[in-house]
Amino acid sequence: MLDLTQGQFVRHVIMHPFEGFEDLRWKKSGSLAIATGIVVLLFIQQLAYNRMYGFQYYSSYDKIFNIVPYFFRSFGIFLLYVVCNWAMCTLFDGEGSMKNIYIVTAYSLIPYIAGYLIGTVLSHFLIKDEYIFIQTFEIVGTAWTVVLFISAMKAVHQFSFGKTLALIALTLVAMIAVMFLLVLLLTLFQQVIIFIFTIYTELSYRLRV
Amino acid sequence: MSGLKKLIAAAGACLMLTGSFAASVSASESYDPYSYDRWGDAVASQVGYTAEYFVDGQSIQGLHDKVREIEEAKIAADPDFDPLTDEWKAMYGLKEPADLYISHDDLMYIADKGNDRIIVTDLDFKMVKYLDTFYYNGEELKLKKPEGVFVDQYTGFIYVCDTENSRVLKSDTEGNVDRMFEKPNTELYSQDLTYNPKKVAVDKAGNVYIVVKSVTKGAVMYDIEGKFLGFYGANRVEATSEIIYNAFWNTIASEEQRARSTRTTPIGFTNFDIDDEGFIYTVTESSDVRTDTVKKLNPRGANILSAVVGDDVTFGDIAPAYYSIYTKNSALMDIDIGPNGEMNILDFAHGRIFQYDKMANLMFVLGGDGDQLGTFRSVSAIESKDNMLYVLDSRKNSVTVFKRSAFGEIVTEATNLYNEGYYQESYEPWLNVIKYDGNYRRAYIGIGNALLNSEQYKEAMKYFKISISRNRYNRAYEGYRGKLLEKYFTPAVIAIIVIAIAVTVIKKLNQKGIITFPWQRKRGV
Repeated sequence: MLDLTQGQFVRHVIMHPFEGFEDLRWKKSGSLAIATGIVVLLFIQQLAYNRMYGFQYYSSYDKIFNIVPYFFRSFGIFLLYVVCNWAMCTLFDGEGSMKNIYIVTAYSLIPYIAGYLIGTVLSHFLIKDEYIFIQTFEIVGTAWTVVLFISAMKAVHQFSFGKTLALIALTLVAMIAVMFLLVLLLTLFQQVIIFIFTIYTELSYRLRV
Repeated sequence: MSGLKKLIAAAGACLMLTGSFAASVSASESYDPYSYDRWGDAVASQVGYTAEYFVDGQSIQGLHDKVREIEEAKIAADPDFDPLTDEWKAMYGLKEPADLYISHDDLMYIADKGNDRIIVTDLDFKMVKYLDTFYYNGEELKLKKPEGVFVDQYTGFIYVCDTENSRVLKSDTEGNVDRMFEKPNTELYSQDLTYNPKKVAVDKAGNVYIVVKSVTKGAVMYDIEGKFLGFYGANRVEATSEIIYNAFWNTIASEEQRARSTRTTPIGFTNFDIDDEGFIYTVTESSDVRTDTVKKLNPRGANILSAVVGDDVTFGDIAPAYYSIYTKNSALMDIDIGPNGEMNILDFAHGRIFQYDKMANLMFVLGGDGDQLGTFRSVSAIESKDNMLYVLDSRKNSVTVFKRSAFGEIVTEATNLYNEGYYQESYEPWLNVIKYDGNYRRAYIGIGNALLNSEQYKEAMKYFKISISRNRYNRAYEGYRGKLLEKYFTPAVIAIIVIAIAVTVIKKLNQKGIITFPWQRKRGV
């Protein structure tokens, strides 16, 4: 039963929001390579959504282009979530390993990415009055991802529904805390570097005299 | 052979000469002309008007003789009179001129504030009249720091804001005062307030509108009989966070607390102009308030400009830092309505003139800070006549005369045709505009609209994309797609039906084992 290849499992998981991830866990399936591929797709989707949307809907400020925000919005947020979720689940006796969390989170993003990519393509063929069709794809994709995501977290950690929601909320708090600490760290490092540089300048002046 | 070489050399020299000539023409203005792109960023542009010459008081023909005449009369009457004081010497020129008005019979009225007089010249700056004394019921009235002048085109009466004397004089051309407008003696006008009229305008019905320095409720309005009617066209208060905060506390505060709190008052407008249809345009000079800086008021006092173009148009410089070493906001000093409804707006902060068409689209930006011709120190008034602009500078004590350039003529022609709804006819002029200035965004929109009207959707889409106007592009795309569908609908439906039938047939055949696909074979074996 359920002797599926990795590729077939992806489809199975998406089409069965309620037991798909349980099956995935039971079969110890899921591929890191596919998951990483999905995150790359997320990156492409973010770029396409901001840069290649139909002109009648959105025109981007093309004078400057910086790819770093797109990296952060895809890889950055994703990895941050995985790490924070793993850190939080250890406190709650969750059963998921970092690898499992990585895989199921990525898998659950597929409808979202697909919905927005379809919307981006459609935006080149539809006029403004027909935006509702694009919106449908985007909303359905997002809603589907939310369902999959909660189900994935529930399955990977073997939590109750309420505990899953609490974990997700705490993960978001942890993400904010980590980002805050990162900013703090960067500023501090900057100061340290400036301090070292000042000492260096001071010394070099003294030595010259 | 050598003859041919000479010819080529001569041709080359000619080319170089004309080339350098063209360069010197385009660089003749003493400032960098610019306009704004879709994102509100400044981009280089062409000049719509060129500064022709400037006229200071000394070069007004006839003024010198008139002042000399007065001087001699004064010396004759009073032997101690000293004509060599700086004050009297300034009489030979202009001193802090505050207002400029060009009447319908082509006379220019200059309110020479520092010298307490009105000078009337023709458009070649030849003095026609010299008004410093007015007569009212046999009494002689002298002006004191007049800051505004207006001529009623229907009756020919001159209205002078006698600012320091707290009155507005309505006089005929000979200086015989018909009526005076003084501080209204009613409860509506708080008697603690001073009454220093700055600018005056009169509508068709003879109602008089006066901008008073200390009044923020709008213009003080009188009827033709000189009766005080009330205030006209007050600005709105900008919804800053502080004002919303106060409004919130006022709703729950007690009566006494409310009395103690600060009142929110709008900023009174600075200047106005009245167009031939009787609409009054106001400008508000304020470096921090952005609402209601320019208004077009109907007779009820309601702003109809914001109804047409919305509230999100920024008049003056969009981002003050661009093309300027200053980072201050525009301060709009004066407005003048041109013959086609163009709004010429004077920016005191940067010494610039912004010309908008009647739909509030920026056409040209001229001028700047400086001492050269075409730049200003302290602008105070602007007037237009046909294709000329007259700008008064109260520090340089001069009038600068601008004439519309060839580029300006084309843009004006195209804009007028476009605003009248003649899209097709404006196509050629707009194409010409692009030849002069490829950054001129309105031209691309104009061309696009002309193409859209003639159902050349694909071309229209191209131009709308260049001008980054999404809604128009959307309309053009709708038409383009409609045409495509019309053309290819039947073949597309037939193709889909054929493919669908083919797929079902092949599937059926596959199920019956008549056809096997390559990938099925692998598993089968």
